[in-house]
Amino acid sequence: MGRRRFVSTLISFSGLLAAGHALGWDPDWAWAENTSQDPSDAGAPTLARFPQKAELILLTDRPPQLETPLRYLLTDLTPNEAFFVRWHLSGIPTKVDRNTFRLEISGKVNKPLSLSLSELQSKFEPVSLVAFAQCAGNFRSWFEPRVPGGQWSSGAMGNARWKGVRLKEVLDAAGVQAGAVQVGLRGLDEPPSAKTPVYQKSLQIDHARDGEVMIAYEMNGEPLPMLNGYPIRLVVPGWYATYWVKALSSISVLDQPLKTFWMDKAYRIPDNAEANEEPQHLAPTTVPISQMPVHSIFVKPAPGEQLRAGQPYQLAGVANDGSSGIRRTEISSDGGQTWSDASLGEDLGKYSWRTWRAEWTPPAKGTYRLMVRATTNSGQKQATAQWNRSGYQRDVIEHQDVVVL
Amino acid sequence: MGRWMFLWMLVAVTIAVALAQQAQSQSRSHSPKAPESAADNGQVQQITLPQYPLQIPPGPNAEVYRRDCLACHTARYVSMQPHFPKAVWQSEVKKMVDVYGAPIPDTDQALIVEYLVAVKGVEATPAQGATTK
Repeated sequence: MGRRRFVSTLISFSGLLAAGHALGWDPDWAWAENTSQDPSDAGAPTLARFPQKAELILLTDRPPQLETPLRYLLTDLTPNEAFFVRWHLSGIPTKVDRNTFRLEISGKVNKPLSLSLSELQSKFEPVSLVAFAQCAGNFRSWFEPRVPGGQWSSGAMGNARWKGVRLKEVLDAAGVQAGAVQVGLRGLDEPPSAKTPVYQKSLQIDHARDGEVMIAYEMNGEPLPMLNGYPIRLVVPGWYATYWVKALSSISVLDQPLKTFWMDKAYRIPDNAEANEEPQHLAPTTVPISQMPVHSIFVKPAPGEQLRAGQPYQLAGVANDGSSGIRRTEISSDGGQTWSDASLGEDLGKYSWRTWRAEWTPPAKGTYRLMVRATTNSGQKQATAQWNRSGYQRDVIEHQDVVVL
Repeated sequence: MGRWMFLWMLVAVTIAVALAQQAQSQSRSHSPKAPESAADNGQVQQITLPQYPLQIPPGPNAEVYRRDCLACHTARYVSMQPHFPKAVWQSEVKKMVDVYGAPIPDTDQALIVEYLVAVKGVEATPAQGATTK
């Protein structure tokens, strides 16, 4: 219901805004106190412009967490400048020297490696893949009851063409020893205090060597923006972006599972298929979040957008999953009683998101409940109800109420 | 009388409009305090992070909150949250200390919770009370 309240606030604001603009009155004192009281209740998001980035929705500035505005989610590939940003610790890298940067591969390997960027790019076969990235907490602000954490709406996700080298090849070059169970991954970011746990993630050794996990040095044909992990980041196709370690600087091959707050306490979901639990009955066991389930959203109409009776309208949005790709997206304009197929955009591979479009002519004035649901190539469908204490892994069938005039 | 009422209504509407317009300008052109910067001489890539300082809302122990919490992160971590019951804020502060290693003296923790409840608190409902981690 938070989203609906946001939308209604937005609608009432926009009417006033037009009148306010006409009057041209702009008293600085009027808003100052209001802002300091509670920006999250103000309705209009704060936009911010960070280096190499377009104007994005500001969640936090230290460390930076920037959300992609809805309008960017209409295309097959998300522009680098609009791609969301999410760092955990305030000591983020702001300067990288290509001469001195090294990726260290250590631990249970026959030959520890210290690879320069040019070595990484020249010694291993380049591979390219379109893959969808999404923050585990994307859509957190849509959960009801609300939960604490980064209050993302729909823009902690994006789709990009990544180019890099296979993690498998790099591990093979180092020679993984018998008994290895995981790889531990970390980047250049540093915690603000000595007692704060360094941001680290782990992958099972078989996953790390599946030939799909990539060390990427290009994003949509360009070097990664600094805020998206320059000079290299891990790409874990189909898995939540918490594993896509940015500014990747160290890979350690482990013979014991990595013990870290970031695997053991954070980024955990209820131990069931739909990451579902009830506030009164929390799941007794949790597991680390991993592969992304199927989900789909409306991009058009945008929240608060009004449609005209009798006039054809292009509904549009994206659907995504983390394993087999999207086979079908369906639309309902009657609150889920009847469904019809949307047309799917280009198929860029099973780890890409899929845009969709559907023409809809509102028959008469009134309020309509639009809904969208997607099915994967392997037959996976979306949840009909979902909540969890951390606001992770949203996969519920979404609705959007639209006013037709 | 009708005329006075009309004038007062005009004043009220004008103020509302001005408030809303400020909200708009706040959201559209909130300019960074540092200029955009991304240098790349071919070998060294460097950016300068802009800051978007936020005036924190007044409340009990606001200075304790500022000193203990904002050393590591922006006030926007709190400002972006919806309102939560005290139990949620207690667990958030505890999490910051226990797992993020925030150097917050024991005596300050309850003071910070008091501040957070004052600016982002709400009466507990059964559902929300159970969302504590």
